[in-house]
Amino acid sequence: MVNERILVVDDDREIAGAIEKLLIMEGYEVIKAYNGMEALDVLISNVVHLIILDIMMPRLDGLSTMMKIRDSKNIPIILLSAKSEDSDKILGLSMGADDYITKPFNPQELVARVRSQLRRYLQLGDKDCANSTSKHVVGGLCLDSDKAELTVDGDPVKLTAKEFKILEFLIKNAGCVFSAEQIYERVWQETAYSVENTVMVHIRRIREKIEINPKEPKYLKVVWGIGYKIENIY
Amino acid sequence: MATKLRTFTRNKILKILSFSLVVILITASSLQWFYLHNRNINPEVLFVQDYDQSETYHRKVSQGIRDTINQIVYDIEKILPEPEYLYYVSDGEKAYYNASLSHILDHEKYLYKYVDQSWEYGEHTYNNIQYYFDENLSLYLTFTEEYMEQKQQEWEDEKTQLLPIVISIFTSITVAILLIIYLILVTGRKPEDDEVHLTPYMDMMYSDIQLGIMIFPLMISYSEYNMVRNYGNSHSSNVLGMDQILVIILSAFTTIISTIILGVILLSLVRKIKAKRLIKHSLVYAIFSGISKFIRSFFDDSRFEHFPLTKSLDRRQLIFTSASGVMVFTSFIFLLSTRSLFIGMIPVFIEAIIIYWYFNENRKTFKEINQGFQASLQEQMKSERMKVDLITNVSHDLKTPLTSIISYVDLLSKEDLPESAKDYVNILADKSGRLKNIVSDLFDLAKSTSGSLPLDMKHLDLKKLIQQTLGDMEDEIEKSGISIKESLSATPVYIYSDGKKLYRVFQNIIGNALKYSMQGTRIFIDMKIDNNIVEVTIKNTASYPMDFTAEEILQRFTRGDEARTSEGSGLGLSIAESFTWASGGRFQVEIDGDQFKVILKFPVNGVELVSGPE
Repeated sequence: MVNERILVVDDDREIAGAIEKLLIMEGYEVIKAYNGMEALDVLISNVVHLIILDIMMPRLDGLSTMMKIRDSKNIPIILLSAKSEDSDKILGLSMGADDYITKPFNPQELVARVRSQLRRYLQLGDKDCANSTSKHVVGGLCLDSDKAELTVDGDPVKLTAKEFKILEFLIKNAGCVFSAEQIYERVWQETAYSVENTVMVHIRRIREKIEINPKEPKYLKVVWGIGYKIENIY
Repeated sequence: MATKLRTFTRNKILKILSFSLVVILITASSLQWFYLHNRNINPEVLFVQDYDQSETYHRKVSQGIRDTINQIVYDIEKILPEPEYLYYVSDGEKAYYNASLSHILDHEKYLYKYVDQSWEYGEHTYNNIQYYFDENLSLYLTFTEEYMEQKQQEWEDEKTQLLPIVISIFTSITVAILLIIYLILVTGRKPEDDEVHLTPYMDMMYSDIQLGIMIFPLMISYSEYNMVRNYGNSHSSNVLGMDQILVIILSAFTTIISTIILGVILLSLVRKIKAKRLIKHSLVYAIFSGISKFIRSFFDDSRFEHFPLTKSLDRRQLIFTSASGVMVFTSFIFLLSTRSLFIGMIPVFIEAIIIYWYFNENRKTFKEINQGFQASLQEQMKSERMKVDLITNVSHDLKTPLTSIISYVDLLSKEDLPESAKDYVNILADKSGRLKNIVSDLFDLAKSTSGSLPLDMKHLDLKKLIQQTLGDMEDEIEKSGISIKESLSATPVYIYSDGKKLYRVFQNIIGNALKYSMQGTRIFIDMKIDNNIVEVTIKNTASYPMDFTAEEILQRFTRGDEARTSEGSGLGLSIAESFTWASGGRFQVEIDGDQFKVILKFPVNGVELVSGPE
């Protein structure tokens, strides 16, 4: 089997080098580029399965490069940036990025996110989880109501019955915010009284199982002071 | 010697004693005077040796002559009261008398005889009667020797009674005056120095008000004096009646009070004169100086010292107003004196020129002010943008090398290294991780304090947010072994804020409390709503002596424990404070013994009505 090929674009040669070694250790093939123009050149003559793209670069910055790539290709792009504001992340994701990692990053988290994106791109795209009424998909999450199964980027994840019910309810209504009382009444089928803590603890456990970095969740989000929701990602 | 004398004369006790003595003396002399009046004692006894030489006697004779003549002229039946003298009066046709003519002539020693329009006098009479009557009118009037002797005796008795009282009054008054002079000399002085000391309270009163107050005791004394005089005149007994005694007691009382009031005010005024504050410290002066200050403030442009443009505006305004005033006045005068419309119009023309000048110049100044304002606004915006750019750039420049460090440390840890090198790599990994946290916190704080923190304001339930935070931190709480006792409101508490930032705030505060609490103690989270303000208090008992103030702990990088060994950036509380303020709350730290207390306040219900979950 041919190794997945990853393009790493960063004007800082040391960082690009570190990422290269990290990914090679994980068994990937890596091509490096030091600015947007070089990256575009590489893409012309090589088949690439994933791009890690720094935003602040000379000549052609990451966002412009990404827009040029998106004109012709649908490969996963992970943005890499020192900008850590929510607004920066939202901008990057809305312009077509599949993930957003802030510098300085945890190397293991980077590897996990790369793996997650590649799995979705290479495997989920054509098999599994598609065209079934009992299955619900949000990003890399695939929830099968009939079999009571959940896979994250293809990997099965074990959930308790309550956890599964909570997640099922939220995934079915992805994008909507629900209060702890609403979730409790739906899942426990009892009158909710002072349940905030109970629900929150369950939410946290689910996050630890499905999120790469539970501190910065991608799917299951707490809307502070209001409730909980599953982010609506396609 | 001189100092001793000074110390003695300026002694407070001596002053008080003399003041009391003055009061007593004045009261005593006025009482004696009242007594004299009530007893109706004639002061003439002091100056005239013999009764028959006295003005009193003379008046009695004149009265007698007038009464008898009136009787004959107007045919009056009887003279009232019963005359003490003997008389015979006739107009040639009829006669009135209370003794026979021969009996009267027996007492020629005191005889007044009017016959043929001329007076004849006895040897002991007062020889200067100025009355003259009709030619055929004749009058004989005399006093018996017994009566005169008795009167002389009474005259001398009164004199022996009066003399000691008069002497006592005079000595009292003399001594009182001397004491008053002494008091005037020493008042306001102290034995220690030669300064003038004003007495608190008394000397705070305005001088003119003091003078006004002085009128009241004077008026009372005057009416008292009148009352006593009237009483005295209506009684002429030797013994005082009960009512007279009452009046005297009453007057003694008022005299004491009046004297004290007058004395105190007089001495206060004297002190002020000595301190040269009599005029300055008066209501009239205060009012006038206030008015003059007010008027002068119009012409005072020192407050525009550093603002030349506004200063010129202010001056121009002043010139315009006064010149216009002068013009209105002159136009009025011109019209009145010349009655010519043409001359009367001259000031109006001048006024028009003044108005033109005023508007034209002001317009220029306003333009300059606007330009300056615009420039400073742009300057400010530019510096604000530069500040934000600086934070972003520094952030990038710090994070990029840090990324390399962390990545290569990670790669290094995967190499096959000797044991000691592995330890070093672990330390590097640990410290670079901490550095990452510090840098991240530092930029959060920098953004927040520079006001460039993006906010996502929403209506949210503060109670829910605290419960969510506690649920999120459950593992941490369990691990610390410290329990949390919460007493939150029973109903949702809606505020308008940024939930993610507030989560950071509570996470930092509770995390701090867990880290620095004494084992076995509890953390209290209380919530109370008062006056549309929700107040959340997070209270814990510190495990170490808190020898810092609430201000110090909020300073950047200050850590509760002096040794900075444990993890964390030391910015937690600062971030909590800054985020709270940024998201519309108030943040306060209180330290009371071992109790560490953080108080957060938010306005309840924000600005709009609460809408449910989105």
